[in-house]
Amino acid sequence: MAKARVVVVRSARAWTAAGDPDPAVIDRMLERGLALTGGGPGTAPAAALFRPGDRVGIKVNTIGGRAISTRPEVALALARRLAAAGLAAKDIFVWDRTTRELRDAGYSPNAGRSGVRVLGTDADGLGYGPELVVHLGVGSLFSRVLTELTTASISLAILKDHGLAGVTAGMKNYFGAIHNPNKYHDSRCDPAVAEVFDAPPVRSRHRLSVLDALTVQFHKGPSYHARWAARYGGLVFGLDPVAVDRVGWEIIERLRAGAGLPTLEAEGRAPGYLRTAERLGLGTFDLAAIETIEEDEP
Amino acid sequence: MNRRGFFRGAAGAGLVLGGGLPAIGRRLCAAAAGPNLSRVEARHYVKLPDREIECRLCPRFCRLGDKERGYCGVRENVGGTYYSLVYGKVCSLNVDPIEKKPFFHFLPGATALSLATAGCNVNCKFCQNWEISQVRPEQVEAYDLSPEDAAARAAGSGCPAIAYTYTEPTVFFEYMVDTAVRARRRGIRSVVVTGGHINPEPLAELLQVVDAVKVDLKGFTEAFYRSYVRGALKPVLETIRTVAGSKVWLEIVVLVIPTLNDDPATIREMCRWIRSEAGDRVPVHFSRFQPMYLVRNLPPTPVSTLVAAKRIALEEGLRFVYVGNVPGHEAENTFCPGCGREVISRFGFTIKAMRMKKGRCESCGTPIPGIWA
Ligand code: SF4
Repeated sequence: MAKARVVVVRSARAWTAAGDPDPAVIDRMLERGLALTGGGPGTAPAAALFRPGDRVGIKVNTIGGRAISTRPEVALALARRLAAAGLAAKDIFVWDRTTRELRDAGYSPNAGRSGVRVLGTDADGLGYGPELVVHLGVGSLFSRVLTELTTASISLAILKDHGLAGVTAGMKNYFGAIHNPNKYHDSRCDPAVAEVFDAPPVRSRHRLSVLDALTVQFHKGPSYHARWAARYGGLVFGLDPVAVDRVGWEIIERLRAGAGLPTLEAEGRAPGYLRTAERLGLGTFDLAAIETIEEDEP
Repeated sequence: MNRRGFFRGAAGAGLVLGGGLPAIGRRLCAAAAGPNLSRVEARHYVKLPDREIECRLCPRFCRLGDKERGYCGVRENVGGTYYSLVYGKVCSLNVDPIEKKPFFHFLPGATALSLATAGCNVNCKFCQNWEISQVRPEQVEAYDLSPEDAAARAAGSGCPAIAYTYTEPTVFFEYMVDTAVRARRRGIRSVVVTGGHINPEPLAELLQVVDAVKVDLKGFTEAFYRSYVRGALKPVLETIRTVAGSKVWLEIVVLVIPTLNDDPATIREMCRWIRSEAGDRVPVHFSRFQPMYLVRNLPPTPVSTLVAAKRIALEEGLRFVYVGNVPGHEAENTFCPGCGREVISRFGFTIKAMRMKKGRCESCGTPIPGIWA
């Protein structure tokens, strides 16, 4: 069986002198990452995952403010790449829970009709769907951005340590698509992360995971603590959501080891939901079954 | 503000109040209202290093980093200080008969200004008010009602009591306590309708300022609490024990759900525990379940099950046992433990007749426990 492919593109030049992500470098990282993500020679790059006419949501995670959220520079560059690949700009939505959190993370929400739209679920006329989605242990209302505005989804999460979940990355990012994520943090978010992902509104739309690992909070997350935030300078790509997060976890472990911190397992915080996700058939957990391609930005 | 799709039917809604603040019934968090959040420092939490906090209000003891919220979703850590987001942010406000809470031995026939904010510290799969309890405060429309305004509104509406109800009042603890203090100054009582997940210290503070507490005892096994409540039984029992030992009036409601918590042996064990730890005077209501929220695959509780539960409770020595959510059932009535006469006749939430004088049976003079005036 073919291994699940995860692509890690890194650059030491990802930031400008002012400390912001460099759009040109980010764009090259995205180009390279997407090109390699397809699955092997001769297969289409990830941008071809979307058919013309698809309406694509890019779900970002902006709960951590400017310091530790999905960077707008990455989200908007990804949106431009999708547009360049043939999607109409008006069919691309960069979104999260609230307008306030998007703003605080440096986005300029615009719920208007033209161009790439940046919006919170709380934008006027949106909100959450009226019917509870009951799936396995989940009972939630899902964002109408996901269920009504989009036909396909990219999880563009920030990679962080998480006090309860162990790791928050591409799968847990969809907690931001439901109205009651606070109810799902028991038992280290296991099985809730896997079950929310497995629920039809997400599973039927999810096509691609991209992790913003430019800055990685490797300890004491999900809040920002400069002391335990590393400038990793990476973006992580993959079609297998479990494999991508598994590799993300490894990145966190490496950074922790480098800082002399114990493993998440040793702290009793290993993200068990990833194994549960594999059991649900959502992807690959075992690192030996994952082909990890690590590249430096050209 | 977009209210399209916001309101569902007004089932359960109470009376419309005069003045600028409409009565708010149950609602659906389908559309996002503009956030109307308070920022009032929470009580019963401790600050920890690295801008973390630990909330000590309820047995969850949420430990949170900066920008995080607790399980209840209505309290947020901002830079190492913990805030209530719902202080004075009322999402449901009605004038209800006190029997609806239900209190059967507390000011019968009185009305209570009944209010709630968003949020709850458990997640019962059979919640009747999940549209307001299982949401974050941004997801429901909220109106500003200060503690002083709430007390004044109760007085203006002729309500001798304020009920903190519908959601879980523990999560709006600060607002509840401050309102109860203001209400008491006006001679207005405060009654709390709770699942009982509150820690001993805040409970002790609460019991200083309120007059009655109704605890929902949702089952009698930890397994049931874990699976269907997402909470724990032990702290609820602790709360019942503490309230019973205080001067505050206590009533207990048990929602009986077919196949989930209707095992007669467990009900017997529960009744035995209530009698030994809370006494035989505490009114116990066995209430009828209706399919709701995440438990829609079960039928409403057969009345015979409720009657059987009542029989078990009487056998175990409890003296005031009721059947709830079955309007017109004779077990809605209060009988004198001395002469057996019907001393309070009810139909649903309405008092049809009272045959009591100064808290005693009119016929035989036996005192009936409760707060009657
Ligand atoms: S009151 Fe809320 S924040 Fe505090 S411990 Fe309970 S659930 Fe957690």
